[in-house]
Amino acid sequence: MAVIGLTRSGGTAAAAAPALHRRNRGRIALARLGGGLAVLVPIVFLSTFITYGLGALSNSDPAATILGQDAATPAAVARLNRALGLDHPLVVQYWNWLTQALHGNLGRSWFTQIPVSQSVSQRLPVDLSIAILAVVLAVIIGGTTGTVAAIRRGGWFDRGLTLACSAVSTLPAFVVGIILVVLFAVTVHLFPANGYVGPTTSIPQWLRYIILPALALAVQVSADIARQLRTSLVTVLDQNYIVGAKVRGLPYRRILVRHALRNAAGPALTILGNDFPQMLAGAVALEVVFSLPGLGQLLLESAQTRDIPVVQGLLLVTSTFVIVINLVINTTLNWLYRTDDGIGT
Amino acid sequence: MTTTARRRPRAQRGLAQRGPAQPRQRPARPRSVLRLPSVRVALVILAAVAILTAFGSALAPQNPLTINANALFQGPGAHHLLGTDYLGRDVLSRLMAGTRLSVLTALEAVGIGLVLGAVPGVATVFLGRWFDFVANRITDALMTLPYIFFAVAVTAALGNNLAHAMIAVGILLAPFFFRVTRAATLEHARAQYVEAAELLGASKLHIIRVHVLRKVLPNIAVTTASMTAAALLAVSFLTFLGIGVQPPAPTWGGILSSDLDYLSQAPWAPFIPGALIAITVGALNALADAFRDRSSAGSLVTADPVTRAVIHTNSSLESADGDRQSQSVA
Amino acid sequence: MVIDNRSPLPDVVTAGAGAGVSQGPRPGAGEVLRIDDLHVTVHDGAATAVRGISLRVQAGEIVGLVGESGSGKTLTCRAALGVLPPGCAIEQGTVSFAGHDVTALSQRDWERVHGSHMGAVFQDPASYLNPTITVGHQLTEVLRVKRRLARRAARRRATELFGAVGLREPERVFHQIPAELSGGMLQRVMIAIAVSCDPQLLVADEPTTALDVTIQAEVIELLRQLRDQRGMAVLFVSHDLALITELCDRVVVFYAGEVVESGPAAEITERPRHPYTQALLRVASVGDFGRRELEVIAGQPPQVGANIAGCRFAERCPVAVPACRTGSIPSVAVGDEHDVRCLRAEDARNVDQLVAR
Repeated sequence: MAVIGLTRSGGTAAAAAPALHRRNRGRIALARLGGGLAVLVPIVFLSTFITYGLGALSNSDPAATILGQDAATPAAVARLNRALGLDHPLVVQYWNWLTQALHGNLGRSWFTQIPVSQSVSQRLPVDLSIAILAVVLAVIIGGTTGTVAAIRRGGWFDRGLTLACSAVSTLPAFVVGIILVVLFAVTVHLFPANGYVGPTTSIPQWLRYIILPALALAVQVSADIARQLRTSLVTVLDQNYIVGAKVRGLPYRRILVRHALRNAAGPALTILGNDFPQMLAGAVALEVVFSLPGLGQLLLESAQTRDIPVVQGLLLVTSTFVIVINLVINTTLNWLYRTDDGIGT
Repeated sequence: MTTTARRRPRAQRGLAQRGPAQPRQRPARPRSVLRLPSVRVALVILAAVAILTAFGSALAPQNPLTINANALFQGPGAHHLLGTDYLGRDVLSRLMAGTRLSVLTALEAVGIGLVLGAVPGVATVFLGRWFDFVANRITDALMTLPYIFFAVAVTAALGNNLAHAMIAVGILLAPFFFRVTRAATLEHARAQYVEAAELLGASKLHIIRVHVLRKVLPNIAVTTASMTAAALLAVSFLTFLGIGVQPPAPTWGGILSSDLDYLSQAPWAPFIPGALIAITVGALNALADAFRDRSSAGSLVTADPVTRAVIHTNSSLESADGDRQSQSVA
Repeated sequence: MVIDNRSPLPDVVTAGAGAGVSQGPRPGAGEVLRIDDLHVTVHDGAATAVRGISLRVQAGEIVGLVGESGSGKTLTCRAALGVLPPGCAIEQGTVSFAGHDVTALSQRDWERVHGSHMGAVFQDPASYLNPTITVGHQLTEVLRVKRRLARRAARRRATELFGAVGLREPERVFHQIPAELSGGMLQRVMIAIAVSCDPQLLVADEPTTALDVTIQAEVIELLRQLRDQRGMAVLFVSHDLALITELCDRVVVFYAGEVVESGPAAEITERPRHPYTQALLRVASVGDFGRRELEVIAGQPPQVGANIAGCRFAERCPVAVPACRTGSIPSVAVGDEHDVRCLRAEDARNVDQLVAR
């Protein structure tokens, strides 16, 4: 990207010309942040509104389902509808929901009456644990393999890695998860095949339960990272400034880490940001494979019962999550790879 | 693509008359792509899948729905080529029968994505800056959202219907089509012959139809291949999660899911549908990659590898030092 | 302009600051670089681009390598520095630095030689600096790693060095990234970094080719000062013969991968013996106002790596005889430290008279 291909800008920026002050750069970054938010937030609300609207347009009748066939007299249904707030026009319903959501109140499940926010906060740590561990694993595995492949380019490791990455990219996370379960849980009994224990109970146990799902999630991302890092690093290592660093007598390891990797890591980290939504999707599947009590299971269950408030709430939470993560990653990358004219990678 | 394979590649016919070692700068035409082994294998695989989609259960060796309580969890054998599942049903037949539903719904999603994405993608180049800005921002936003949540949410709203879920998937595939078509259209719409046509009075629609569309189609084709792969994965995923599956009708993902429940009895079982999915997806991706590589700029060809090597080393040394001096002495 | 008040070369070397090549005599007034019969192949041995190069650089001497693009001078420098591009290798011959054979030196040992004993500057300084790190940081990095200076001391020293190489606002430059600086300033930065650990030899590969003529003059002057004040030897590469003869003590003329003539600058300028050198001198004087015609040497140099029997210049040589095209042409001494690789050297004293224009 921009970092790797930078060359002298034709001698234009002489010392006399005032360089863009660092404070200005901060302002630009903030503006971009604001812009990103401004665009994504409407989309989130749009999508939740559509879901709401679809639910209303469909012929689901939660009141009747809650009451059960016998008790669903028109009067009882009408009363329940009023209690659930379902008798207002759609837009009003949505608006009420939205304003409540901004205060943290995501409503209650139509069927269990449990506050949505409670269900979400109960299950969120599960997904978070797996996702965070997956990110860590992906960076470690992808980072080291990509670096080694780049250093020994053309060698057997490099070629093997390319092959492995191509193979892996065709495997969706849940398939990988299944493979891992078969290999490490069923045949070998090294790790448990399902269930979950929180970190507050016991950290080693917690790790035992999340390592396989996290690994399954990390595999594809690692492959993407490794492939991108290898390519970027190979390009960077060919650059003259690596030769320049060498002739200054700097140790090889230092050159590799502080000059080469520092400049090559950008695109690979961006991949992490881009893959994150897919990681979420994979997490849902993995919850099924590994019987984990996470948000994905909640989504599937409530989708089956057509429990709209829960689905809405989940949609809002996950979309917000994705947006926040993306913005954080993009801002961090823009900050790390700032160039003087304020244009990020 | 498949029709041109019948005709003998023009490059082959012409080369005999030309002398060797002539620098060719024309980008290689898609016909020569067919010589790649990966492309050939991919096409064979996809042809098989296409046949299965069309004729589905008619070709299956046995009835995919027949339950046989005496033959549960059998491994691959003579009677059942890929073994049997937890109800004694023939796995191979189920997979073949399931192909149709999976592939058709995947194509449905791709179709939606294509129309919703490619049309604005071409149009945005001609419709002014505002439209472009808004379209781009919508695209950015859509691309960040995970499709699975929307697909499942749609089933919550509209009921457990795979077709509906795939509409959601299709909508979320549209941004990719949009991006690619927009980039390709930009590249070609700025060409000089387009300017010339405009000056000659051609209407924008005419320009699009005659000049731009033809050049953009290869890119669309490449994206379609990759997106079909993605859609297939999405279908497998959704059916795996139980969306739209009316048991006992078989789907790839559904078979995978039920295999999972009986993992201890048959640990090998999930590999079969898993492999099927992976192979098909891999074939599509290989095809997309091969065409993408070929449609980028062509390469300069000289006969002598030594000279080429030396030129390369010299020019890399010179360009390394930004040397733009000519060969004459200072 | 006083650069620093450090002690001259021998003491710096024996002080062992920043570690150096281990044993061996410290040649205070001896040879810094010696290349013997160097052959360099390119692209994994497909062609030999440098053939039988021999040259010597004494301490405190400025030696100029001059020749056309592709004549092998850059590859020779790279070989001497131990940074040949991928695919290139030293097939034959030796490179010695301060009496130690560095031809097949390990990477770890090169790390000790680079910076502390050998420095380098290249043609496009911007591309040899990390574009994302400030130049000040890149200099202090070297000082901290190789000289083990503390951060603050390194920063002070770096600012001093920037001032010493002629940068007008060293404090300000310290915080700027390469993209913010002009070519001339970047070259000064590179020089500052290269000499920061007091190397005995500075290899300068076309450092001024991409700079304005006025800046060129300043950089040349800077190099001369550095030599005068530190006793640093310089290996200066250029295709500009006028520049070389002005700056250098000794000149080595390259053609098609071989050394065709070498000797003191004055000798080469006044008494060139090789027809190629003579042609170069004629062409270089194009700078004189009054000349109307563009002087060129007819023909092209041979393909890099081409195997040619006899003299590689014979094709274009105005005084070539049949003997020139067969057998190898030895390098003969024709004066005090003046060597020529030419059969017609004795006769070519007055090539102008022999050559029909």
